[in-house]
Amino acid sequence: MNSELITATKLTKVYRRGSEQVFALKDVSFTVSQGEFLAIMGPSGSGKTTLLNLLGCLDKPTWGSLKLSGIEISDLEEKKLVKLRRDHIGFVFQQFFLLPTLTVKENIELPLLFSKRKENEKAIKEIIDIIGLTNRASHLPHQLSGGEMQRVAIGRALASGPTILLADEPTGNLDSVTAETIYQLFLRLNQQGLTIIVVTHNPELANIAHRIIRLKDGKIIDDGVIVGR
Amino acid sequence: MNFLTLAAKNLLRRQGRTALTVAGVAIAVAVLFSLLSFNSGYEKQLNNELNSLGIHILAVPKGCPYEAASLIIHGGTIPKYLSEADIAEVNKIADIEIASPMLLHQFYKDGKPHIVYGIQMNETNRLKPWWKVEGRFFSDDETNVMVIGRELAEKEKLEIGDVLSFGPDGVPFTIVGILKRTNTPDDEVYFVPLKSAQELFQKPMQITAIAIKVKDISRVFDVASKLEEIPDIQAVTTSQIIGTIMNIVGSVRTLLISVIIVAIAVSAVGIINTLLMSVNERTGEFGMMKAIGASEADIAKLVILETLSISVAGGMLGLLVATAGSSLIEGFVKNIIPYAPAGNLLSFQPAFFGLCFLLSITIGLICSIYPALKSSYMTPLEAIRSNVNE
Ligand SMILES: Nc1ncnc2c1ncn2[C@@H]1O[C@H](COP(=O)(O)OP(=O)(O)O)[C@@H](O)[C@H]1O
Ligand SMILES: [Mg+2]
Repeated sequence: MNSELITATKLTKVYRRGSEQVFALKDVSFTVSQGEFLAIMGPSGSGKTTLLNLLGCLDKPTWGSLKLSGIEISDLEEKKLVKLRRDHIGFVFQQFFLLPTLTVKENIELPLLFSKRKENEKAIKEIIDIIGLTNRASHLPHQLSGGEMQRVAIGRALASGPTILLADEPTGNLDSVTAETIYQLFLRLNQQGLTIIVVTHNPELANIAHRIIRLKDGKIIDDGVIVGR
Repeated sequence: MNFLTLAAKNLLRRQGRTALTVAGVAIAVAVLFSLLSFNSGYEKQLNNELNSLGIHILAVPKGCPYEAASLIIHGGTIPKYLSEADIAEVNKIADIEIASPMLLHQFYKDGKPHIVYGIQMNETNRLKPWWKVEGRFFSDDETNVMVIGRELAEKEKLEIGDVLSFGPDGVPFTIVGILKRTNTPDDEVYFVPLKSAQELFQKPMQITAIAIKVKDISRVFDVASKLEEIPDIQAVTTSQIIGTIMNIVGSVRTLLISVIIVAIAVSAVGIINTLLMSVNERTGEFGMMKAIGASEADIAKLVILETLSISVAGGMLGLLVATAGSSLIEGFVKNIIPYAPAGNLLSFQPAFFGLCFLLSITIGLICSIYPALKSSYMTPLEAIRSNVNE
């Protein structure tokens, strides 16, 4: 079965800090299949964000190969990367990044503005239902709690119907009770077939994932499928 | 939702800052628009007014050309006089159609200057065929009669039949006519027969100036040089008067132009500053936008639209303020220029609206280049990182 969505081979990312070179990722190889729920863990500075940004086509590797649905992205031009991000990737950040003057619904529709797609009222309404904010579609971000804001951000990531949802410490700013609602949301989305890759420090979130990749100093030190899930 | 609403909503996040920037643009545009309007209106009005005097040349005593210029406009006195003999000389010049002598006298009442013109009504009526009178004109051999300007009549509450006394001996003069409004300085003057004026003010046979109309306007300068051959006389043409005034106005204008350049520069710096601040504040957001599918062009477009919204709003506001506040502006301008004709000094022209509007858009576009590039070239990574405190 050829269900490999992501194939990373010897991914390396080097940052320059003055005259010093920082190996944020060193020869990282792994594959991710369609429908997986993958957690990436590791101490601060271990390269988690760097890896996620590469997977999200926000940055290119210094060396190595990265294939997304069979397309090699490491030498793709910016224009094509933009298109890939539009069509395949949903991104969720630790600090939500909602636009404060837009309503919940408008924030969710934002990606459609960039992809020049017509807003599909029904699809948007479904997303709002999924994230559980049916009655708050016309509220502004400052009227929402942190957990609700993150759910809006997840809704926004879903708007253009991505194949992969990438989340960088999505519960880092939330209390544990609220974080739990976010895990449940991820779980439901994953059960509907969405591939999810989450960077997290949170063992509970990692626990609901199918598989955990542990990074340290830019290298994978452990890649294990959790049996029974 | 479209880009424009997104841009507008972003601007509303910092209403105070946006309002200040819009105001900066508005001021620059208002000043520019007023100056353009003033410039064209002023020269037009000046020409109108001097032409409506019906005079091509003013023959004045030698050595007082500028006093003559201001005299013809404001009234006033010159310490020197021409004689009846000079009139005879003037009348010998072939190309002159009308030569109308006058004696001016100025006196103060309640601290304000009042001007009495001694004139020959026959000649004056030929010189100013548009003069209409309520009541009647006087004839040149009448005494103790006068015609007054409309404005003067209203200010002093004078009516036909009223009697005023003039001069050191308090000679009574009866108002026989009030001029219909001319919108020239004539509206504020007392006109009496020349002979009466000469007696009254004890200037027998003396005149202040001779207003001259030539037969053929193209020969004005020939006539002027012939006039100057008469020893006592200096000839001042209306175009010289206009030239003199426009020279003075020109220097005022240069000053105003530098004010405008400064205003525009200040507003441009204001826009750039506002944009850079708002772009820097939103690096994380721009990164997010890229992550969810915005291209560099999308981000640049957003920043440019925000700038354009500011400059278009500022431009419209500025034009509105300039139009609505034109009387204030006119009052201000009248105070700082040497000679302000009656009537509208500001002439609003569609072209000026267009020009000012275009300018505000251009300022906006130019100002948005750097912030737009800055925000769009930022990689999402840098953009997001700059908001992360890891
Ligand atoms: N833009 C950058 N320039 C220089 N160094 C960077 C940059 N981004 C990340 N790094 C470095 O790369 C390493 C990995 O960073 P990151 O991927 O953010 O780690 P994590 O998300 O696991 O905390 C760190 O040492 C970090 O300082
Ligand atoms: Mg990180």
